[in-house]
Amino acid sequence: MSRKIERLINLTIALLATKRYLTKSEIFRSVEGYEGSPETKERMFERDKDDLRSLGIEIEVGSYDPLFNDEAGYRIKQEKYQLDLGQITPTEISLLSLAAQAWQGASFDEAAQKALLKLNSIGVPSDSLTLPGASNKLSDGGRDFPLIAKAIADQQLLTFTYIDSQLFQNVRKIVPIGLSSRAGFWYLSGVDQEIQEIRTFRVDRIEGEIAASKGPRDFETPQNFDPKGVFEGGSPTSFASIDVRKGKGTSLRALATSTESLGEWDRLRVPIYNLHTLASMVLWHGNDVFVQQPQELREILIGQLDSLVKSHG
Amino acid sequence: MAKSFSAPLERTARLLDLVPYINSHQGIALKDLAAVFDVSNAQMINDLTTLWMCGLPGYTPLELMELDFESGYVNISNAPTLSKPRSVTFDEGVSLVLGLELLRSSISSDRADLLEKVDSLAFRLSSIINLPSVFSVTTTVNQKIFGAIAEALASQSGLEIQYHSLYRDEITQRKIFPIEALDVDGVQYLSAYCYEVSDFRQFKIERIQSAGVIQIERRVTHSVTQSQGISSVIKVLKPSRELAERFNLTDATVGSEFGYDTFSQQWLERSVLAAGGAAALLSPPEIRASIAQMAQSMLDRYKAE
Repeated sequence: MSRKIERLINLTIALLATKRYLTKSEIFRSVEGYEGSPETKERMFERDKDDLRSLGIEIEVGSYDPLFNDEAGYRIKQEKYQLDLGQITPTEISLLSLAAQAWQGASFDEAAQKALLKLNSIGVPSDSLTLPGASNKLSDGGRDFPLIAKAIADQQLLTFTYIDSQLFQNVRKIVPIGLSSRAGFWYLSGVDQEIQEIRTFRVDRIEGEIAASKGPRDFETPQNFDPKGVFEGGSPTSFASIDVRKGKGTSLRALATSTESLGEWDRLRVPIYNLHTLASMVLWHGNDVFVQQPQELREILIGQLDSLVKSHG
Repeated sequence: MAKSFSAPLERTARLLDLVPYINSHQGIALKDLAAVFDVSNAQMINDLTTLWMCGLPGYTPLELMELDFESGYVNISNAPTLSKPRSVTFDEGVSLVLGLELLRSSISSDRADLLEKVDSLAFRLSSIINLPSVFSVTTTVNQKIFGAIAEALASQSGLEIQYHSLYRDEITQRKIFPIEALDVDGVQYLSAYCYEVSDFRQFKIERIQSAGVIQIERRVTHSVTQSQGISSVIKVLKPSRELAERFNLTDATVGSEFGYDTFSQQWLERSVLAAGGAAALLSPPEIRASIAQMAQSMLDRYKAE
């Protein structure tokens, strides 16, 4: 096993050090470890190339002189092999270390730690930067984020089963365009291929595996998509006028765009993104919250209260 | 989810990464190096011995790497080809870019210098791995509150906080002595001793409305009052994802019944109300009656006004 590893390292060194393409016969002659019949060497070399590529090392194939029908040669370009972040400062190293630490305990942690090791090998020490909020952690909930990220980068098609608000399982096919996180949840945005519109899915509501396949050839990333805008819910369809008892309804107050005092009560103007979500929030607050407008929301509430009375009578 | 390689490839990757690391940490203790690469001392000696045999074609002492580790401290020379760290893989790059996004959301806006650096690093990393900038991470926590918590933890002082209790829908003023900040699945909690209830509590940091550092005597007494637990039985009436998530149900088929234990009657009542008829509380009977009464009085008001 050691011999194979030695050979892989020696091959990497030789291909990195060369200024021109090395032909196979040059490699077999000069790099230590290629032994046996020509077929054996050939097979060894093919496997070694695949192994290095799977480690993310790009081997370029070319010929020494394109004008002649030369034997193909190989090399590894230094600039592709090496980590090149340009000039880097101790503060930047600290920031990158903090970024890597955000994954502590998550399954992505291993990749982050490997990246950190490479950053620490640049030879620039980190400074003692401290950030009060940097104790935040990211969790990937066991999801395959590299798969999602790769699908975004390559505009692949993602197929998955999604649980809707009535607990139905629907198969969705999207070309992903963004991944966002807020308050511990991850949200995947993409162009739903059935309706050709942008939709956002909460990742933990995806049931089972996410499958990636080749995306549609004519896909165009929607202009003006802002992953930060996902949580603003676009533009609200309308506003509700809601009375909230003083000192109560903190979560509704956080949503309100304006507040008017009415003595014992305050009247809030609350944007409506989803009537049913808002109805549920109103009911949570019991007698401390009363909806004035719109009629549509009041009707949902009356219907739901009616069935609550009946089912608890 | 990092790709895992076969043992020889894993080791090849480690050897390639060892060279630049030693190069930038000349004289590092062998055991420290083993710890950084998360292998045993014996494995590290094995790795270094293998590296020792590697070098440029020719493989005379002139071309081989020079490694010295017999003293227990590791030095390397004559390894110019591998002296720079390898570029990041796609997975590694994505993990850093997402980490930077989170970091950005936790830097206060008066540190424009740091925000600029974070942006520039994310951009440089994204271009290395060919990733469009499509990630965003936002935290819902106020920077000032984080600052006060960090200061109190560092200086071992108390905090005076305004806390929004979701169950009771109340904002209360509390004096607390913070013990540690925890992160559970991306939600931050502050574990603290609360002087108001004379007991330890976990506060969801996003529900802390304000926080200020105070000097407080560090006395810890346990309260004797134990809150009474409630065992309830709830029946599913309509399929609802909200219900399934609120009560952590794996089976939420219509007609099924499940038991749920909680310490807060208010939480239970509010949760059933918020389900809007998708669930009915079967027992305990007094809470069932209380829900019916509350729903009736709300209904009456909607019908009257």
